[in-house]
Amino acid sequence: MSGSGMTGENTFQNSDFLIKKDIFFEFIDTLRREYRVFGPVKEKNHYAFREISSASDLYMDYSTTMLSPGKMFIYKPKEDVLRFRIESGISIEEIRYGVEKQIIVGIHPCDIHSILYLDRVFLGDFIDPYYKIRRENTLLIALNCTKVLENCFCSSVGTGPYLKVQSGYDIVLTDLGDEYLVELKSLKASQIFNIKGKEAYPDIFKLKSDKEEALLKSFRKSIDINGLDELFFKNLNHPVWILTADEKCLSCSNCVMVCPTCFCYDIVDEMSINLKEIRRFRQLDACQDFKFAEVHGGNYRQRRASRLRQFVIHNLNYTSQYGLIKTVGCGRCITWCPTKIDLTEMVKEIQRNPLH
Amino acid sequence: MKTPLFPFKAQIIDIKIETADTKTYTLLSKDAAYTAKPGQFNMVGYPGVGEAPISLSSSVTDGIFQHTIKGVGRVTKFLERFKIGDEIHFRGPYGTHWPLDMQSGNDVLIVAGGVGLAPLRPVIHEIVKMRNFFGKVTVIYGSRSPDNIIFMDEIETWRKDIEVFLTVDEIPLNMKWNYDVGMVTKFIDKSTVNPLNAYAFICGPEIMMLFVSKGLFFRGFLPSRVYVSLERRMKCGIAQCGHCQHGSKFVCKDGPVFAYKEITKLPDGLL
Repeated sequence: MSGSGMTGENTFQNSDFLIKKDIFFEFIDTLRREYRVFGPVKEKNHYAFREISSASDLYMDYSTTMLSPGKMFIYKPKEDVLRFRIESGISIEEIRYGVEKQIIVGIHPCDIHSILYLDRVFLGDFIDPYYKIRRENTLLIALNCTKVLENCFCSSVGTGPYLKVQSGYDIVLTDLGDEYLVELKSLKASQIFNIKGKEAYPDIFKLKSDKEEALLKSFRKSIDINGLDELFFKNLNHPVWILTADEKCLSCSNCVMVCPTCFCYDIVDEMSINLKEIRRFRQLDACQDFKFAEVHGGNYRQRRASRLRQFVIHNLNYTSQYGLIKTVGCGRCITWCPTKIDLTEMVKEIQRNPLH
Repeated sequence: MKTPLFPFKAQIIDIKIETADTKTYTLLSKDAAYTAKPGQFNMVGYPGVGEAPISLSSSVTDGIFQHTIKGVGRVTKFLERFKIGDEIHFRGPYGTHWPLDMQSGNDVLIVAGGVGLAPLRPVIHEIVKMRNFFGKVTVIYGSRSPDNIIFMDEIETWRKDIEVFLTVDEIPLNMKWNYDVGMVTKFIDKSTVNPLNAYAFICGPEIMMLFVSKGLFFRGFLPSRVYVSLERRMKCGIAQCGHCQHGSKFVCKDGPVFAYKEITKLPDGLL
């Protein structure tokens, strides 16, 4: 891959600079000539990733957003995949999307990791061309966190609060007051980054790790993922599933919709009024929906408890799917649950009182 | 690059009525290079109606293959109205296949329930074709009642090469039936295959597969050589839509044919 190469892009020299923030934002504005730029903006009392018309729209001190940028601008919530025409026979036409170069600025480490997870789903055994074309034409500018929120538990799963992974994105920023530490992580980044700044000196990295240390101390939520695979396997009938489902879960699917790594989709056919033209699109679907695991003559997850268990176990176990844990510790499923179901608490309950 | 969701067209060149709700469609693929292995499936569908995962009920020769489809869901019921000459669309083949790459001389036991015989039919064809390669081979096929038996005329022709037990759960009043009565599990002991030397392939309702597997283990079959084919509703067939996830497995990609030991004790399953 060009741009946001996933792996193996070690052919360029990593370089790190100290750049005044206003200079950095000017740089972002120059990029708008060639790229659509998306980033965090403030909307009334919340933050969201939106397309910006000026770097001054950016609100880099944002806490978190309801939706992750990866599931808005790379894996789209809704996507046309095919068009059919029925005359004497069927004609099938695929939907082609033009290449649109885009940049997403200010992505927190958990959300970078969520994109790396989606890469495995959509660029793995079967390649989704729509995801691929956007992924290749999107520059990812990460931003290390400056605060830890109530529901963050990225430090427990190795995805934050500072980005450790060295490839799969383009630039990572660390806020150092008036300046950003700018670390270039891809060939593409080193090609477009044309502003002069002080080269980062070793003390800066000491400062960076001190800041990270301080941040690590402020986590209030944690999860011990050691042995979870086996623990779940032995506790499929633990009362916590039924109790939480019966007392709290509304099956509203908020958890799935805000989850940056939940990838499931439905495919829907929409027919024109003359019954001749059909648009086939896919859109996000959720395992919390009653019909999700329905088959002829039954439903594999008819009970709310088994649907809730599916969400929790899929996020925290099933490492055998892609070799890594699905959750990125962003805490969105906790934040946006109307009844405040907390998967970390459910796990703790099983760890405290296992069935076996 | 084309989306893997892009289907090919196929023309229906023959339709055979198997039972009141099940038909075998012979399809001619517009993609001449199309090929599949016994046990694999296609996403079969029609614009405006959608797609459903259906196992092939035959091998593929010169782009011609068969699907035996029981009309039970939105897509499969819609297909019931199709006539010879009509076009549908399909994509595949997807998933794993029955492991016929065993050593020569192995015995094979095939147990099928209802329309579950369809994905096993290409295996039986393969065995009949290469009969000397295999040891003893038994087919146990059970159905609810005589009028739910599929491939009836063909089953008789299998008998000269393989041992066949044909059974129904019950015989309705005034219906003639010259074969056995009782659950398929009843016939496991009657098969002449040697359990320790045998592979077992099972397809049918999950509850049936559960009891058959247990019966086989009791008789000495090895869990690593007992294979089942699972059924889930799927949207994509390519391990993305997530609908068929069973534990950490994608039934579409890691299955539908699984060794029993791969899928035992997973959440939300019976096996």
